[in-house]
Amino acid sequence: MPASIRTLRSRIRSVSSTKQITRAMQMVAASKMRRAEEADTASAPYVKAASEILSYLASQGETKDHPLFAKRPIKSRLIILVAADKGLAGAYNNNLLKRYVEELKKDDGKIKNDTITVGRRAAQFATRLKDTSVIAVYQDLPDRPAGNELRAILDTATNKFTSGEVDDVDLIYTAFNSTISQEVTMVHLLPAGFTETPVSEEVREAEYEPNAQEVLSSVVYRILGSQLFQALLDARASEYAMRMMAMKNATDNANELVDDLTLEMNKARQGAITQELAEISGGVEAMK
Amino acid sequence: MQLELITLLGVKVSEPVYEVIIPTADGEIGVFPGHEPLISIATPGILAVRRQKIDDDDHLEYFAISGGVIEIAPKRARILVDEADAAPDIIEAESRAALEAAMQLRDQATNQVELEKASRLIDRHSIRLKVAELRRHHRR
Repeated sequence: MPASIRTLRSRIRSVSSTKQITRAMQMVAASKMRRAEEADTASAPYVKAASEILSYLASQGETKDHPLFAKRPIKSRLIILVAADKGLAGAYNNNLLKRYVEELKKDDGKIKNDTITVGRRAAQFATRLKDTSVIAVYQDLPDRPAGNELRAILDTATNKFTSGEVDDVDLIYTAFNSTISQEVTMVHLLPAGFTETPVSEEVREAEYEPNAQEVLSSVVYRILGSQLFQALLDARASEYAMRMMAMKNATDNANELVDDLTLEMNKARQGAITQELAEISGGVEAMK
Repeated sequence: MQLELITLLGVKVSEPVYEVIIPTADGEIGVFPGHEPLISIATPGILAVRRQKIDDDDHLEYFAISGGVIEIAPKRARILVDEADAAPDIIEAESRAALEAAMQLRDQATNQVELEKASRLIDRHSIRLKVAELRRHHRR
Protein backbone atom coordinates (compact mmCIF):
# COMPACT_ATOMS: atom_id res chain seq x y z
CA MET A 1 0.00 0.00 0.00
CA PRO A 2 1.52 3.34 -1.03
CA ALA A 3 2.32 5.83 1.71
CA SER A 4 -0.25 8.44 0.60
CA ILE A 5 -3.15 6.03 1.05
CA ARG A 6 -1.94 5.11 4.48
CA THR A 7 -1.62 8.74 5.59
CA LEU A 8 -5.04 9.52 4.17
CA ARG A 9 -6.54 6.60 6.05
CA SER A 10 -5.03 7.68 9.34
CA ARG A 11 -6.21 11.25 8.79
CA ILE A 12 -9.75 10.01 8.18
CA ARG A 13 -9.57 8.05 11.39
CA SER A 14 -8.39 11.03 13.42
CA VAL A 15 -10.99 13.37 11.92
CA SER A 16 -13.72 10.82 12.69
CA SER A 17 -12.71 10.59 16.31
CA THR A 18 -12.66 14.38 16.59
CA LYS A 19 -16.13 14.32 15.10
CA GLN A 20 -17.32 11.98 17.80
CA ILE A 21 -16.07 14.35 20.48
CA THR A 22 -17.64 17.45 18.95
CA ARG A 23 -20.89 15.56 18.50
CA ALA A 24 -20.93 14.53 22.12
CA MET A 25 -20.18 18.12 23.20
CA GLN A 26 -22.99 19.33 20.98
CA MET A 27 -25.46 17.02 22.66
CA VAL A 28 -24.29 17.83 26.17
CA ALA A 29 -24.60 21.55 25.42
CA ALA A 30 -28.09 21.05 24.02
CA SER A 31 -29.40 19.32 27.11
CA LYS A 32 -27.72 21.79 29.47
CA MET A 33 -29.15 24.66 27.48
CA ARG A 34 -32.66 23.28 27.86
CA ARG A 35 -32.22 22.98 31.61
CA ALA A 36 -30.92 26.53 31.97
CA GLU A 37 -33.82 27.76 29.87
CA GLU A 38 -36.32 25.96 32.07
CA ALA A 39 -34.82 27.38 35.24
CA ASP A 40 -34.96 30.81 33.66
CA THR A 41 -38.71 30.64 33.08
CA ALA A 42 -39.30 29.11 36.53
CA SER A 43 -38.23 32.34 38.25
CA ALA A 44 -40.86 34.44 36.46
CA PRO A 45 -43.64 34.14 39.12
CA TYR A 46 -41.20 35.30 41.79
CA VAL A 47 -40.23 38.38 39.82
CA LYS A 48 -43.85 39.19 39.06
CA ALA A 49 -44.97 38.98 42.68
CA ALA A 50 -42.02 41.05 43.92
CA SER A 51 -42.52 43.68 41.20
CA GLU A 52 -46.15 44.06 42.23
CA ILE A 53 -45.26 44.94 45.81
CA LEU A 54 -42.45 47.22 44.69
CA SER A 55 -44.71 48.98 42.21
CA TYR A 56 -47.20 49.73 44.97
CA LEU A 57 -44.55 51.00 47.38
CA ALA A 58 -43.13 53.22 44.64
CA SER A 59 -46.57 54.66 43.93
CA GLN A 60 -46.81 55.54 47.64
CA GLY A 61 -43.57 57.52 47.36
CA GLU A 62 -41.68 55.13 49.62
CA THR A 63 -38.80 54.77 47.19
CA LYS A 64 -37.83 58.44 47.21
CA ASP A 65 -35.62 58.34 50.28
CA HIS A 66 -34.40 54.79 50.02
CA PRO A 67 -30.59 54.51 49.71
CA LEU A 68 -30.72 51.98 46.87
CA PHE A 69 -32.80 54.39 44.79
CA ALA A 70 -30.49 57.36 45.32
CA LYS A 71 -29.52 59.03 42.03
CA ARG A 72 -26.14 60.74 42.22
CA PRO A 73 -23.89 62.26 39.58
CA ILE A 74 -21.83 59.35 38.29
CA LYS A 75 -18.20 59.60 39.34
CA SER A 76 -17.47 55.92 39.62
CA ARG A 77 -19.14 52.94 38.19
CA LEU A 78 -19.26 49.22 38.85
CA ILE A 79 -19.71 46.71 36.04
CA ILE A 80 -20.64 43.11 36.69
CA LEU A 81 -19.37 41.13 33.73
CA VAL A 82 -20.79 37.66 33.18
CA ALA A 83 -18.77 35.47 30.79
CA ALA A 84 -18.02 31.77 30.50
CA ASP A 85 -15.51 29.63 32.33
CA LYS A 86 -14.54 27.82 29.16
CA GLY A 87 -14.07 28.58 25.50
CA LEU A 88 -15.24 26.54 22.54
CA ALA A 89 -18.48 28.48 22.41
CA GLY A 90 -18.10 30.36 19.15
CA ALA A 91 -18.05 34.13 19.56
CA TYR A 92 -19.70 34.04 23.00
CA ASN A 93 -16.81 35.42 25.04
CA ASN A 94 -15.50 37.70 22.30
CA ASN A 95 -18.80 39.49 21.73
CA LEU A 96 -19.19 40.03 25.43
CA LEU A 97 -15.68 41.34 26.00
CA LYS A 98 -15.97 43.64 23.00
CA ARG A 99 -19.08 45.24 24.46
CA TYR A 100 -17.39 45.52 27.82
CA VAL A 101 -14.41 47.36 26.37
CA GLU A 102 -16.79 49.71 24.54
CA GLU A 103 -18.50 50.50 27.83
CA LEU A 104 -15.18 51.16 29.53
CA LYS A 105 -14.02 53.48 26.73
CA LYS A 106 -17.30 55.42 26.60
CA ASP A 107 -16.47 57.85 29.39
CA ASP A 108 -12.96 58.77 28.12
CA GLY A 109 -11.39 57.93 31.46
CA LYS A 110 -13.36 60.53 33.40
CA ILE A 111 -15.17 57.93 35.45
CA LYS A 112 -13.49 55.43 37.72
CA ASN A 113 -14.45 51.91 36.70
CA ASP A 114 -14.62 48.86 38.94
CA THR A 115 -15.45 45.38 37.77
CA ILE A 116 -16.81 42.20 39.28
CA THR A 117 -16.18 39.28 36.99
CA VAL A 118 -18.13 36.05 36.74
CA GLY A 119 -16.46 33.29 34.74
CA ARG A 120 -12.79 32.56 34.19
CA ARG A 121 -12.63 34.18 30.75
CA ALA A 122 -13.93 37.47 32.11
CA ALA A 123 -11.36 37.46 34.91
CA GLN A 124 -8.47 36.64 32.58
CA PHE A 125 -9.45 39.51 30.34
CA ALA A 126 -10.41 42.21 32.82
CA THR A 127 -7.40 41.82 35.10
CA ARG A 128 -5.15 42.78 32.17
CA LEU A 129 -6.92 46.06 31.46
CA LYS A 130 -5.64 49.41 32.67
CA ASP A 131 -9.04 51.13 32.56
CA THR A 132 -10.59 49.18 35.38
CA SER A 133 -9.80 47.52 38.66
CA VAL A 134 -11.23 44.10 39.35
CA ILE A 135 -12.66 43.99 42.85
CA ALA A 136 -14.08 40.49 42.92
CA VAL A 137 -13.77 37.33 40.85
CA TYR A 138 -16.27 34.50 40.74
CA GLN A 139 -15.49 31.30 38.90
CA ASP A 140 -17.00 27.88 38.34
CA LEU A 141 -20.49 28.85 39.45
CA PRO A 142 -22.92 25.94 39.24
CA ASP A 143 -25.50 25.87 36.45
CA ARG A 144 -28.14 26.83 38.98
CA PRO A 145 -26.46 29.41 41.18
CA ALA A 146 -27.79 29.06 44.74
CA GLY A 147 -28.62 31.85 47.15
CA ASN A 148 -25.12 31.97 48.59
CA GLU A 149 -23.17 32.87 45.47
CA LEU A 150 -25.90 35.22 44.39
CA ARG A 151 -25.94 37.02 47.70
CA ALA A 152 -22.18 37.38 47.78
CA ILE A 153 -22.18 39.22 44.43
CA LEU A 154 -25.24 41.24 45.31
CA ASP A 155 -23.98 42.27 48.74
CA THR A 156 -20.71 43.53 47.30
CA ALA A 157 -22.62 45.63 44.78
CA THR A 158 -25.20 47.03 47.19
CA ASN A 159 -22.62 47.78 49.89
CA LYS A 160 -20.43 49.66 47.42
CA PHE A 161 -23.44 51.59 46.25
CA THR A 162 -24.89 52.53 49.63
CA SER A 163 -21.48 53.51 50.99
CA GLY A 164 -21.12 55.89 48.03
CA GLU A 165 -18.02 54.21 46.61
CA VAL A 166 -19.81 53.69 43.31
CA ASP A 167 -22.71 55.71 41.91
CA ASP A 168 -23.92 53.29 39.29
CA VAL A 169 -24.00 49.52 38.88
CA ASP A 170 -24.50 47.80 35.54
CA LEU A 171 -24.62 44.20 34.50
CA ILE A 172 -23.28 42.96 31.15
CA TYR A 173 -24.35 39.50 30.06
CA THR A 174 -25.66 37.63 27.04
CA ALA A 175 -29.44 37.54 26.84
CA PHE A 176 -31.01 34.35 25.60
CA ASN A 177 -33.75 35.00 23.03
CA SER A 178 -33.86 31.60 21.41
CA THR A 179 -31.61 28.75 20.44
CA ILE A 180 -30.37 30.67 17.42
CA SER A 181 -30.43 34.21 18.74
CA GLN A 182 -28.53 35.59 21.73
CA GLU A 183 -27.37 39.12 22.22
CA VAL A 184 -25.03 40.91 24.55
CA THR A 185 -27.12 43.09 26.84
CA MET A 186 -26.44 45.66 29.51
CA VAL A 187 -28.89 45.93 32.39
CA HIS A 188 -28.94 48.81 34.80
CA LEU A 189 -28.96 47.47 38.36
CA LEU A 190 -28.40 50.42 40.68
CA PRO A 191 -29.73 52.98 41.46
CA ALA A 192 -32.74 50.72 41.47
CA GLY A 193 -35.70 51.36 39.27
CA PHE A 194 -38.97 49.55 38.95
CA THR A 195 -41.30 48.45 36.20
CA GLU A 196 -44.94 49.48 36.47
CA THR A 197 -46.88 46.38 37.41
CA PRO A 198 -50.64 46.20 37.97
CA VAL A 199 -51.27 46.17 41.72
CA SER A 200 -53.95 43.92 43.16
CA GLU A 201 -56.51 45.01 45.75
CA GLU A 202 -54.87 42.89 48.45
CA VAL A 203 -51.51 44.55 48.09
CA ARG A 204 -53.05 48.01 48.16
CA GLU A 205 -54.99 47.48 51.38
CA ALA A 206 -52.29 45.64 53.26
CA GLU A 207 -50.60 46.73 56.43
CA TYR A 208 -46.83 46.82 56.38
CA GLU A 209 -44.87 45.25 59.20
CA PRO A 210 -42.53 46.33 60.73
CA ASN A 211 -42.88 49.31 58.34
CA ALA A 212 -43.01 50.11 54.65
CA GLN A 213 -39.33 51.12 54.45
CA GLU A 214 -38.08 47.79 55.75
CA VAL A 215 -40.40 45.84 53.54
CA LEU A 216 -39.17 47.96 50.66
CA SER A 217 -35.54 47.13 51.46
CA SER A 218 -36.32 43.46 51.49
CA VAL A 219 -38.33 43.62 48.25
CA VAL A 220 -35.71 45.66 46.39
CA TYR A 221 -33.01 43.28 47.50
CA ARG A 222 -35.07 40.36 46.21
CA ILE A 223 -35.74 42.06 42.89
CA LEU A 224 -32.07 42.84 42.38
CA GLY A 225 -31.29 39.24 43.30
CA SER A 226 -33.76 37.94 40.77
CA GLN A 227 -32.35 40.24 38.06
CA LEU A 228 -28.90 38.90 38.77
CA PHE A 229 -30.18 35.34 38.94
CA GLN A 230 -31.96 35.63 35.61
CA ALA A 231 -28.90 37.22 34.04
CA LEU A 232 -26.70 34.37 35.22
CA LEU A 233 -29.15 31.79 33.89
CA ASP A 234 -29.57 33.64 30.61
CA ALA A 235 -25.82 33.80 30.26
CA ARG A 236 -25.57 30.07 30.85
CA ALA A 237 -28.35 29.26 28.39
CA SER A 238 -26.69 31.49 25.77
CA GLU A 239 -23.31 29.97 26.38
CA TYR A 240 -24.65 26.47 25.88
CA ALA A 241 -26.65 27.52 22.84
CA MET A 242 -23.56 29.03 21.24
CA ARG A 243 -21.43 26.08 22.20
CA MET A 244 -24.02 23.80 20.69
CA MET A 245 -23.93 25.76 17.41
CA ALA A 246 -20.13 25.87 17.41
CA MET A 247 -19.94 22.14 17.98
CA LYS A 248 -22.59 21.49 15.34
CA ASN A 249 -20.51 23.44 12.83
CA ALA A 250 -17.42 21.54 13.88
CA THR A 251 -19.23 18.24 13.41
CA ASP A 252 -20.50 19.32 9.99
CA ASN A 253 -17.00 20.39 8.98
CA ALA A 254 -15.58 17.10 10.14
CA ASN A 255 -18.19 15.27 8.08
CA GLU A 256 -17.25 17.25 4.99
CA LEU A 257 -13.58 16.66 5.61
CA VAL A 258 -14.11 12.92 5.99
CA ASP A 259 -16.02 12.89 2.68
CA ASP A 260 -13.27 14.83 0.91
CA LEU A 261 -10.56 12.66 2.34
CA THR A 262 -12.40 9.48 1.47
CA LEU A 263 -12.77 10.69 -2.10
CA GLU A 264 -9.11 11.55 -2.25
CA MET A 265 -8.17 8.19 -0.79
CA ASN A 266 -10.32 6.32 -3.29
CA LYS A 267 -8.76 8.31 -6.12
CA ALA A 268 -5.30 7.50 -4.86
CA ARG A 269 -6.17 3.83 -4.53
CA GLN A 270 -7.67 3.78 -8.01
CA GLY A 271 -4.58 5.55 -9.33
CA ALA A 272 -2.31 2.99 -7.71
CA ILE A 273 -4.27 0.09 -9.21
CA THR A 274 -4.26 1.70 -12.66
CA GLN A 275 -0.55 2.28 -12.41
CA GLU A 276 0.10 -1.29 -11.36
CA LEU A 277 -1.96 -2.57 -14.28
CA ALA A 278 -0.12 -0.30 -16.67
CA GLU A 279 3.18 -1.57 -15.34
CA ILE A 280 2.15 -5.22 -15.78
CA SER A 281 0.81 -4.73 -19.30
CA GLY A 282 3.90 -2.63 -20.09
CA GLY A 283 6.08 -5.56 -18.89
CA VAL A 284 4.12 -8.03 -20.99
CA GLU A 285 4.52 -5.78 -24.06
CA ALA A 286 8.28 -5.55 -23.44
CA MET A 287 8.69 -9.32 -23.26
CA LYS A 288 7.05 -9.85 -26.64
CA MET B 1 -56.74 29.81 52.00
CA GLN B 2 -54.45 29.49 49.05
CA LEU B 3 -50.79 29.11 49.99
CA GLU B 4 -48.25 30.14 47.38
CA LEU B 5 -44.66 29.44 48.22
CA ILE B 6 -42.60 31.01 45.47
CA THR B 7 -38.84 30.72 45.09
CA LEU B 8 -36.38 31.76 42.43
CA LEU B 9 -36.35 28.17 41.25
CA GLY B 10 -40.09 28.14 40.70
CA VAL B 11 -43.37 27.75 42.56
CA LYS B 12 -42.88 25.20 45.35
CA VAL B 13 -46.41 25.07 46.72
CA SER B 14 -49.66 26.38 45.33
CA GLU B 15 -52.61 24.76 47.07
CA PRO B 16 -55.30 25.36 49.65
CA VAL B 17 -54.25 25.02 53.30
CA TYR B 18 -55.79 25.75 56.70
CA GLU B 19 -52.91 27.37 58.53
CA VAL B 20 -49.39 28.61 57.81
CA ILE B 21 -46.86 29.39 60.53
CA ILE B 22 -44.25 31.82 59.26
CA PRO B 23 -41.03 32.94 60.95
CA THR B 24 -40.78 36.76 60.96
CA ALA B 25 -38.57 39.32 62.63
CA ASP B 26 -41.17 39.70 65.43
CA GLY B 27 -41.44 35.97 66.04
CA GLU B 28 -43.59 33.33 64.47
CA ILE B 29 -46.98 34.29 63.15
CA GLY B 30 -49.78 31.82 62.49
CA VAL B 31 -51.94 32.76 59.54
CA PHE B 32 -55.48 31.44 59.18
CA PRO B 33 -58.06 32.08 56.46
CA GLY B 34 -59.55 35.56 56.71
CA HIS B 35 -56.36 37.20 58.00
CA GLU B 36 -56.07 40.96 57.58
CA PRO B 37 -54.04 41.98 54.53
CA LEU B 38 -50.43 42.21 55.63
CA ILE B 39 -47.07 42.56 53.96
CA SER B 40 -44.09 41.69 56.08
CA ILE B 41 -40.63 40.16 56.09
CA ALA B 42 -39.90 36.49 56.64
CA THR B 43 -36.65 35.59 58.36
CA PRO B 44 -34.68 32.42 57.66
CA GLY B 45 -36.34 29.62 59.62
CA ILE B 46 -38.95 26.91 59.59
CA LEU B 47 -42.23 27.34 57.79
CA ALA B 48 -45.00 25.02 58.97
CA VAL B 49 -48.15 24.21 57.04
CA ARG B 50 -51.35 22.67 58.37
CA ARG B 51 -53.34 21.40 55.43
CA GLN B 52 -56.64 20.67 57.16
CA LYS B 53 -58.30 21.90 60.31
CA ILE B 54 -58.42 18.40 61.80
CA ASP B 55 -54.68 17.80 61.32
CA ASP B 56 -52.81 17.72 64.63
CA ASP B 57 -49.28 18.99 65.18
CA ASP B 58 -47.84 15.65 64.09
CA HIS B 59 -49.20 16.23 60.64
CA LEU B 60 -47.65 19.62 60.01
CA GLU B 61 -45.55 19.94 56.90
CA TYR B 62 -42.25 21.71 57.29
CA PHE B 63 -40.13 23.77 54.93
CA ALA B 64 -36.69 25.21 55.54
CA ILE B 65 -36.83 28.73 54.13
CA SER B 66 -34.37 31.55 53.67
CA GLY B 67 -35.45 35.13 54.22
CA GLY B 68 -38.06 36.74 52.02
CA VAL B 69 -41.25 38.72 51.75
CA ILE B 70 -44.73 37.58 52.78
CA GLU B 71 -47.94 38.94 51.41
CA ILE B 72 -51.13 37.93 53.15
CA ALA B 73 -54.68 38.50 52.05
CA PRO B 74 -57.89 36.99 53.48
CA LYS B 75 -57.87 34.23 50.91
CA ARG B 76 -54.22 34.01 50.04
CA ALA B 77 -50.79 33.76 51.60
CA ARG B 78 -48.00 34.47 49.19
CA ILE B 79 -44.47 33.82 50.41
CA LEU B 80 -41.51 34.94 48.33
CA VAL B 81 -38.24 33.43 49.45
CA ASP B 82 -34.87 32.80 47.85
CA GLU B 83 -34.88 29.16 48.80
CA ALA B 84 -37.39 26.74 50.27
CA ASP B 85 -36.86 23.04 50.82
CA ALA B 86 -39.60 20.63 51.82
CA ALA B 87 -38.71 18.26 54.66
CA PRO B 88 -38.76 15.09 52.51
CA ASP B 89 -36.22 16.69 50.14
CA ILE B 90 -33.68 17.22 52.89
CA ILE B 91 -31.32 14.42 53.74
CA GLU B 92 -30.44 14.65 57.40
CA ALA B 93 -26.98 13.15 57.19
CA GLU B 94 -26.04 15.47 54.34
CA SER B 95 -27.23 18.53 56.22
CA ARG B 96 -25.32 17.49 59.32
CA ALA B 97 -22.14 17.02 57.30
CA ALA B 98 -22.66 20.36 55.57
CA LEU B 99 -23.21 22.06 58.92
CA GLU B 100 -20.01 20.60 60.31
CA ALA B 101 -18.10 21.66 57.22
CA ALA B 102 -19.51 25.17 57.58
CA MET B 103 -18.47 25.31 61.24
CA GLN B 104 -14.98 24.28 60.28
CA LEU B 105 -14.99 26.99 57.66
CA ARG B 106 -15.95 29.50 60.34
CA ASP B 107 -13.15 28.39 62.65
CA GLN B 108 -10.61 28.70 59.86
CA ALA B 109 -11.90 31.99 58.52
CA THR B 110 -9.17 34.59 58.29
CA ASN B 111 -11.20 37.61 57.25
CA GLN B 112 -14.61 39.17 57.63
CA VAL B 113 -15.86 38.04 54.23
CA GLU B 114 -15.09 34.39 54.89
CA LEU B 115 -16.59 34.64 58.35
CA GLU B 116 -19.83 36.08 57.00
CA LYS B 117 -20.03 33.44 54.34
CA ALA B 118 -19.47 30.70 56.89
CA SER B 119 -22.07 31.99 59.32
CA ARG B 120 -24.60 32.26 56.51
CA LEU B 121 -23.91 28.64 55.63
CA ILE B 122 -24.23 27.64 59.28
CA ASP B 123 -27.61 29.36 59.56
CA ARG B 124 -28.82 27.72 56.39
CA HIS B 125 -27.75 24.22 57.27
CA SER B 126 -28.86 24.33 60.89
CA ILE B 127 -32.36 25.26 59.73
CA ARG B 128 -32.35 22.44 57.23
CA LEU B 129 -31.13 20.04 59.89
CA LYS B 130 -33.87 21.14 62.29
CA VAL B 131 -36.50 20.56 59.63
CA ALA B 132 -35.15 17.08 58.94
CA GLU B 133 -35.16 16.26 62.66
CA LEU B 134 -38.70 17.54 63.08
CA ARG B 135 -39.83 15.26 60.32
CA ARG B 136 -38.10 12.28 61.87
CA HIS B 137 -39.68 12.90 65.29
CA HIS B 138 -43.16 13.24 63.90
CA ARG B 139 -42.93 10.12 61.83
CA ARG B 140 -42.38 7.98 64.88
